Amino acid sequence: MAVALTMAAMKVAALCHALRGERAQSAGLGAVLGIVLAGGTIYLAVRDLDLLAAAYAVWLLGWLLGPVFMGGGDETLRPEYFTLLGLPPRRLAVGLLAAAFVGLPPLVSLTALLGLVVAGARLGPVAALVAVPAMLLQLAVFVLLSKVAVGLVGLALRSRLGAISTGVLNGAILAGLGQIWVVFLALGQTGVPPLVRYLPSGWGLLAVRGSWWALGALAGLIALLLLAWAALLRLRVGASRASGRARRPFLARTADGAIVAKELRTSSRDLVRNYQFTFAFAYGVCFAASPLLVGWNGMLPYAGPVFIVMAGAMAANVYGTDGTALWLTLMTPAASDVRGRQLAWLATHAPVAVLLTVVCTAVTGGPWPLILALLPALLGGAAGLVPLISVYGLVPGTDPHKRANNPLRTSEDEGSLTGQAYLALALIVATALPAGFVAIRFGWAGVVVGIVTGALCWWGFGRLASARLRERGPELLSTMRTGRKAGGTVQSRFTELSKPRKAVAWWCFGFAAIPLIPQGILAAVFVSRDMLHHTWFLATYMPPGLRYPVALGFVVLGLAMYALGTWIVLPSRQPGTVE
Amino acid sequence: MTPALEINGLTKRFGEKLAVDAIHLRVPQGSFYGLVGQNGAGKTTTLSMAVGLLRPDEGTARIFGADVWSAPDEAKALVGVLPDGLAMPERLTGREVLTFLGLLRGMPRDEVLRRADELLDVLELSGAGGTLVIEYSTGMRKKIGLATALLHAPRLLVLDEPFEAVDPVSAATIKTILRGFVRGGGSIVLSSHVMALVEQLCDHVAVVDAGRVAAAGPLDEVRGSRSLEDTFVALVGGEDGGVKELSWLSR
Repeated sequence: MAVALTMAAMKVAALCHALRGERAQSAGLGAVLGIVLAGGTIYLAVRDLDLLAAAYAVWLLGWLLGPVFMGGGDETLRPEYFTLLGLPPRRLAVGLLAAAFVGLPPLVSLTALLGLVVAGARLGPVAALVAVPAMLLQLAVFVLLSKVAVGLVGLALRSRLGAISTGVLNGAILAGLGQIWVVFLALGQTGVPPLVRYLPSGWGLLAVRGSWWALGALAGLIALLLLAWAALLRLRVGASRASGRARRPFLARTADGAIVAKELRTSSRDLVRNYQFTFAFAYGVCFAASPLLVGWNGMLPYAGPVFIVMAGAMAANVYGTDGTALWLTLMTPAASDVRGRQLAWLATHAPVAVLLTVVCTAVTGGPWPLILALLPALLGGAAGLVPLISVYGLVPGTDPHKRANNPLRTSEDEGSLTGQAYLALALIVATALPAGFVAIRFGWAGVVVGIVTGALCWWGFGRLASARLRERGPELLSTMRTGRKAGGTVQSRFTELSKPRKAVAWWCFGFAAIPLIPQGILAAVFVSRDMLHHTWFLATYMPPGLRYPVALGFVVLGLAMYALGTWIVLPSRQPGTVE
Repeated sequence: MTPALEINGLTKRFGEKLAVDAIHLRVPQGSFYGLVGQNGAGKTTTLSMAVGLLRPDEGTARIFGADVWSAPDEAKALVGVLPDGLAMPERLTGREVLTFLGLLRGMPRDEVLRRADELLDVLELSGAGGTLVIEYSTGMRKKIGLATALLHAPRLLVLDEPFEAVDPVSAATIKTILRGFVRGGGSIVLSSHVMALVEQLCDHVAVVDAGRVAAAGPLDEVRGSRSLEDTFVALVGGEDGGVKELSWLSR
C-alpha cells in the first residue's frame, strides 16, 4: 500500500509541474470536453439503460484505442524509473495502477460512471448501493484494459511483423468506427445489439440491474488484467535488441540525394514509421471498401486519396520525431533538408497511392476525372504541408535514443500531437478542394488544376518551410531540447509594442469580425434574399442602389482591420539583427 | 592574426535565470583551449551560441572572422562541432551517418567514403558495421559524434565534454588525434570539468563561473604555481572551500 500511495503522490506532483502554460490550456479544454461527454452519458442513465450500456462500450473503446493513437497514453511515471528498487512486478503494477488513477481522464470517466449511481437510484436503494463498488471496479477495468492494450502494442512494435499487423488492425478498427453506419446497415438493425450489454464495459450496469455475479466478474477480470500487466511490465523493462546484419550501401552522390537516402532508410528501419504507413494504408482501404458490405462501391475509388491524407497527418511532426538531430541541419545550412524530406515522403507514399487509386478506380470504372484530379493535388498538398506544419507547429519530441521502452511515445505532449494531426488532416483535404470542385463541374480540367495546385503546394509550402527552418532553426532546436516553446514570437513582440500601438492592434483583432461577418457577408446574404430592415444589419436599411456597396464596404473595412493588426504585430524584418 | 573563435559579450537568459552573462573569449589560432566550470556554469550554453545552435540575447560570435549569425554558411563550414547529448540520424549506421554528413557538406562521394572508413577504423567503430546509432553505447555515441566533427577537416573544433563516458583506450586515441590536429595548425575549444585532462591537453584555459569568465589566458598564467584544480576551487568554490562531509556515511 505504501508503494501505491507514494507513486500516486509522485504522479500528483508531476502533474502539478506539467500542467502549466499551454499544456494547462489544452488539458483544460480536454477536461471541459470530457465533462460534456460525461454529462451526456449520465443523461442516458435517465433515458435508456441499453443506450447507457452502449455509451460505456464507447468509453471503453476510447480507453483502448485512445492511448494507441495518442502516443502510448499517460507515461508520467514510467516503469523504468523503478527498476533499481527491486520491486516484485505485481507490487510495481499495483503501484503504477494507483498512480494511473490520478489524472484527468480517470476523473472524467468516473464522472461518466456516475451514470451507474443514477441508474441504481431509479431502480431502488439496493441497486444504488451496488452501483458504488460497480463504478469503482468498472473504472479499474477501463484503466487496466488500456494499460494492457498499450503494453501489447508496445510488445508488437518490437518486430517488423508486429508493427505491420498492429498497423493493419488499428487502421481497420478505426476505419470501421468511421463507417459504423455500414455495420449497422449490414446487420439490419437500428437498436442497440444485446451483445453490448454483456461486454466487460457493461458489467457494472448488469450488476446494478440485479445480476450481482457481474461484480464478481469485474473483480476477477481486474485480477487477471493486473497479472497480465505485471507480466508485460517485466517484459518491457530491460528489453533491447541489437542488429548486426550488413546494410545496403549508400549510393547517393549529392546533398539532396543523401537526405532522401537517410529518410528512406529511416522509414524502412523505424518500426513506428512502418506502423504509421500500414495504419494509413489499412485505414484508406477499409474506409473505402467497407460500403461494399452493403453492395455500394461508390466509395472504393477514394481509398488512395484517404490513404494520402491519413499518411500525411501521421507524418506531420516529422521534425519533432527526429528530435535534437536538427542540430546537424543547422550546422549544414547549404543543404536543403526540407526538399529532401519532401522527395523521400513522395518516394515512399506516391507509388502506393497511385497504384491503390488506379486499381480501385478501375474496379468501379470511375469517376476518373475527379479521382485523377484529387490524386496529384493531395500528393503535392501533403508533401508540402508535412514539413510546413512540422516547422510551424512543432511538437517537441523525445529523442529516439531516450524513448524508453514505449515505441509509441514519440513526444511528451500527446494532446498537441493529436491536435497537430487533425490540423494536418483538415489542411491536406483543403489543398484538394479547388481541383475537386473543378473536376466535379468541368470534368477533365480538374486534373490540370490538381497537377498545378499539387505542384504549387509542394513548391510553395516547401519553400516557406525551408525559410522558417533557416530563420528560426535555433529556436526550434531549443524547443526540442527543453520541451518548451522558445519565447513566443508574436506574444513577446506584442508586449514590446508601445501602448497606443498595442491598443490599436487589440481593437483591430477584437472588432474586425463585426464589419467583416455580420455587417458585411451576412448583410449581403440578407440583401440577396430580400430580407430588408433586418435587426441591426445596416445594409438592409439602405436604398436599393447602396445595399451591396455598403455591405462590400464593411467587408473591406473588416479585412483592412485584420491587415492593420497583423502589420502592427508582425516582426520588422531586418537581416542580421539578433532577436 | 584573426582569432579562430572570438566571442563578444554573448548573453543568454532563460526566463529569470541569467545563464550566460556577457562572456568575452578570444581563442587564438593554433591553440588548444580548455573551458572549465562547474555543472550549470554556462559552458554548454556558451559553446552552443558560439557555433550557431542557440540564438544569443546579445553579443556576437565570429569563426575566423566570419559572423556565425550573419554569415552562417561561411562560418559553419570552418568548424566541426561535438555537442553534448544531442541526437543523430539514429536509424543509420555509423558509416551511413558519416557518408550522409559528408555529402551534406558538399564533399565528393569517394573522398567521403575514404575518410569515413579511416575515421571508423581509428575510433574502433568499424567492428559495429551494421549497428544503428540508436543501438550505440554512450561512449560509442561520443566517438561517432567526434568523427562527424572531424570529417570535413575543419579549421576549428568545438567539443562539448568529448571524453565523457569514453573508455581509457579510446580516450588515448582521441587525445593523439586532437594533439595531431593542433600540431597541424588546427584550433580546438573543449569544455570539461575534469581538470587533470585540461591540464594535460590544453595550452589555454578559461574558468567559467555563474555565466561569467572568472579567469582566462595561457594555462601557466591562470594556474600560476598551483595545480589547475586548486586554482579552480579557489576561484569558484565557496568560502570554506566547499567541501563538506556526510556524518552518517562513515561508521
